[in-house]
Amino acid sequence: MAKGEALGEFEYLVILAVVRLGANAYGMRVRQEIAERTGRDVTIGAVYATLERLTDKGLLAASMSDPTPERGGRAKRSFTLTRAGMEAANRARQDLVNMLDGLRFPLPGRTP
Amino acid sequence: MKPPGWAQLVLWAVAGENEAEFVMGDLHEEFLLLCADRGRSAGSRWYVRQVFRSAATLLGLRFRSGEAAHLLAAALVAVAMPLLLLDRLWSFVYSHIPLKDGLDRAPGFWAANVVCVCACAALCGSLAHSLPRAAGVALAAAVGAACALWCSTATAPVFYAGLAILAGPASSMAVFAWRRSR
Repeated sequence: MAKGEALGEFEYLVILAVVRLGANAYGMRVRQEIAERTGRDVTIGAVYATLERLTDKGLLAASMSDPTPERGGRAKRSFTLTRAGMEAANRARQDLVNMLDGLRFPLPGRTP
Repeated sequence: MKPPGWAQLVLWAVAGENEAEFVMGDLHEEFLLLCADRGRSAGSRWYVRQVFRSAATLLGLRFRSGEAAHLLAAALVAVAMPLLLLDRLWSFVYSHIPLKDGLDRAPGFWAANVVCVCACAALCGSLAHSLPRAAGVALAAAVGAACALWCSTATAPVFYAGLAILAGPASSMAVFAWRRSR
């Protein structure tokens, strides 16, 4: 695998959020999904920067919808996983499983 | 119910044309949910915090798309260069007046600089064709004026420095608003 193809931790979280949200995956929902499930205080800027990067890599595809009143009359950009994105997510999961194999958790030490 | 207008303006300035529409829509949607849940002041606080914590990332995104680099280059050429040229001209003028060389500049010289900043920034603002771009031009004009002040040969009074940095963006936005209203 070439350098830059592997998913970063936050990229992986964003991809998983997009998978979970299905057709309803857009910036705000992705931010909320990650915040609710991980307890992280994620900013909309970080989410958009990552969505943009993943789209540039060809792992996500973006589509626009019409403006709505609850968005102050602004359009929405939704994201879906591409085939390359699915392969990257599967590979990242397999990498994680391989690395976790044989380890016992929780590791000794403080947990936050 | 609307989010704080000045925070929206900051977002327009940093997010750029590609992202501003979607980011603002998303924040607006969540702002309304928060207002209904926890009240307007909590919603506004959350909105402002999101804008400021996202500013650097969104600005980085704008730089990567090339848009911010163009704006910054335009502001440097259109605002900073004329100011620097004026500064050199005033230095030259002072050096040719006996007993004036090295003295503080008269208010008229500073006023001419401010007029120049306003005119250049207004010209840039009149060329902007959308609000994100106009806000970006305003921000870049402030950066351009600050750069010119930094490189100035004379020590600028604080009042003048503040005026030069703020008057440029204000005139740029004013001209943009005037053009749009027509």
